[in-house]
Amino acid sequence: MKAAASLQKRLSLGLTLMLSVLWLVATVTAGLVVQGELNEAFDSALEETAQRILPLAVLEIINRDASDAAQHIAALQAHNEYLTYLVRDNNGKILMQSHDADLAVFNPLPVEGFSNTASHRLYGASALRESVFIEVAEPLKHRREAALDASRALLLPLLGLIPLSLLGCWFLVRFSLRSVLAYRHAIETRGAGDLSPIEVANLPAEIDPLAAAVNHLLERLRSALEAERSFTANSAHELRTPLAATLAQVQRLRREAPAGPLQVRAGQIEASLRGLARLCEKLMQLAKAEGGGLLAASPQDLALLSSYVVEELGRTAGERLKLSLPGSDQVLSNIDPDAFAILLRNLIENGLKHGASDQPVAVSLSSSGLLCISNAGPALPATVLAQLSGRFVRGNSQAEGSGLGLAIATTIARGVGASLSLASPAPGLPDGFAVSVQFVLSSPASLP
Amino acid sequence: MRVLLIEDTAGLGQAVREQISDDGHAVDWVQRLDHAEASVRSTGYDLILLDLQLPDGQGLDFLRQRRAAEDVTPVIILTARDQISDRIAGLNAGADDYLVKPFDLFELSARVAAVARRYSGNPNPQLQLGALHIDLSARTVQRAGLTVDLTAREWALFEAFIQHPNALLSKAQLEDRLYEFGAEIESNAIEVYISRLRKKLGRELIETVRGMGYRLGPV
Repeated sequence: MKAAASLQKRLSLGLTLMLSVLWLVATVTAGLVVQGELNEAFDSALEETAQRILPLAVLEIINRDASDAAQHIAALQAHNEYLTYLVRDNNGKILMQSHDADLAVFNPLPVEGFSNTASHRLYGASALRESVFIEVAEPLKHRREAALDASRALLLPLLGLIPLSLLGCWFLVRFSLRSVLAYRHAIETRGAGDLSPIEVANLPAEIDPLAAAVNHLLERLRSALEAERSFTANSAHELRTPLAATLAQVQRLRREAPAGPLQVRAGQIEASLRGLARLCEKLMQLAKAEGGGLLAASPQDLALLSSYVVEELGRTAGERLKLSLPGSDQVLSNIDPDAFAILLRNLIENGLKHGASDQPVAVSLSSSGLLCISNAGPALPATVLAQLSGRFVRGNSQAEGSGLGLAIATTIARGVGASLSLASPAPGLPDGFAVSVQFVLSSPASLP
Repeated sequence: MRVLLIEDTAGLGQAVREQISDDGHAVDWVQRLDHAEASVRSTGYDLILLDLQLPDGQGLDFLRQRRAAEDVTPVIILTARDQISDRIAGLNAGADDYLVKPFDLFELSARVAAVARRYSGNPNPQLQLGALHIDLSARTVQRAGLTVDLTAREWALFEAFIQHPNALLSKAQLEDRLYEFGAEIESNAIEVYISRLRKKLGRELIETVRGMGYRLGPV
């Protein structure tokens, strides 16, 4: 099964991602706008510079002697020029240049207005009827840096924003979902058989109807199980009482009858009544095993229940029944106590019935919830072992029995999520038969 | 023993009463809890056999009331409810034993005898009393190695003395143990049984305390 996605994780990541994308789009838009505005401002400064320098340059050229030599304007102080300029005549002869001017960055022939080269932005203007041209160059690098700086300033907060947004969303979602989490906790910590309504206050409007529906369902399930339970109990009572009366009367009859055929016949009736009573009991146990009420609302101590069952059966089995329990520890599981008793009783009865009659039947319960019932006797072939837990199957034993015992135990084990396994010969013995049932222990958190 | 049987199913109640009477006990049989309450108020019982589902209430409630009133009379529950949870509830309410219907009448007899022994303070069914060897569970007495035959009534009377070894038992108390309500009792019935017991088990077995009653003689 695919692991369920966490709503909290999904909301936090999704909201943060969306916020980041929006921020990026806003940053790019703002960056483009800023770049346009910057270009306008720089261009205007470039144009202004050319217009300012040109009259001065013309005056200078006219006033100087007719020397052909191009003149480098000496710098007043040594400095790195940011803007460089070049004054040429219409043939491209250089009349004047700024001291850092690099000829390579200018157009081969003067161009009026704005133009671009690979690395510079140029502005050209002319004077004296287009006989003197000036071009001012500004490195593009500078503009890029400015645009980059602006973009960086806009992007920088995003670095802080992502973790802040993640954290904020996480807390906000967690805060909003706290009643849902409480609901989850209430469901997680209750026992598997606990069908009481789940009470959690202040659920969000989206979840509240769901919780109400769950409670409604639990209530219906509880009343259905209750009805089933009382039906089983009542029918057991209704069947057993007349059986008990008839059996008791027949026993009296047998005792009072004179020795002879009448007494023999009373004995036969008594034996069939006992058989009927046994079958009745097994069928009621099977009905219980196949019913829904196999889990208890609260954890039950299997060790205590085992000792009750063993004590009860020990009255007739006597010394043959050996019980070993894990010290004074409780072994808690959510199985219905009656279902557990039926399971254990059937397995012990099988052991007593089919095991070697002079050997003990050992019942052990470990603190990890492993119940094991083993008896001595001839080992069973693997094919018989495989068929055994089917209904009305008796193995090859001659012993008297309904053939339902193991089927009942298997059904109960399946119903409570326990795993039942058969082994022959019994582990650690040369022969015999063993049934092991591993129960699911209740976690300490679900203790009442 | 004087036994109160509370059971509403006629066929079963009748058979149980006959069985327990055959064992030599006096049985009063009632079919309702209010009659049972009237009976326990008027008579001291040695044992109560209690059905759980009765027409006018739950046997467990009756049992809890008796225990709350510090009545320690032994109680054996006879019920059609076989579940372990019912059994635990019954024992927790103060029952001494629990027998699920349909049960074997001889199993019931054995349980009745076992509870009686437990309350006599000596759970061991084997007793030695002077030359007498007594097996309470098998209901046999041997005198100097020879088995003595006792009738059910004689045994019940003998058991009353064994269970109260130092007590003085009045004629009325002994009649109570031997006969249920409404039974016709010959005025000298107890004297007759005492003399039969003395004949079978030895003169010194039972002492007569003139005008008061009887008690087990010094061994």
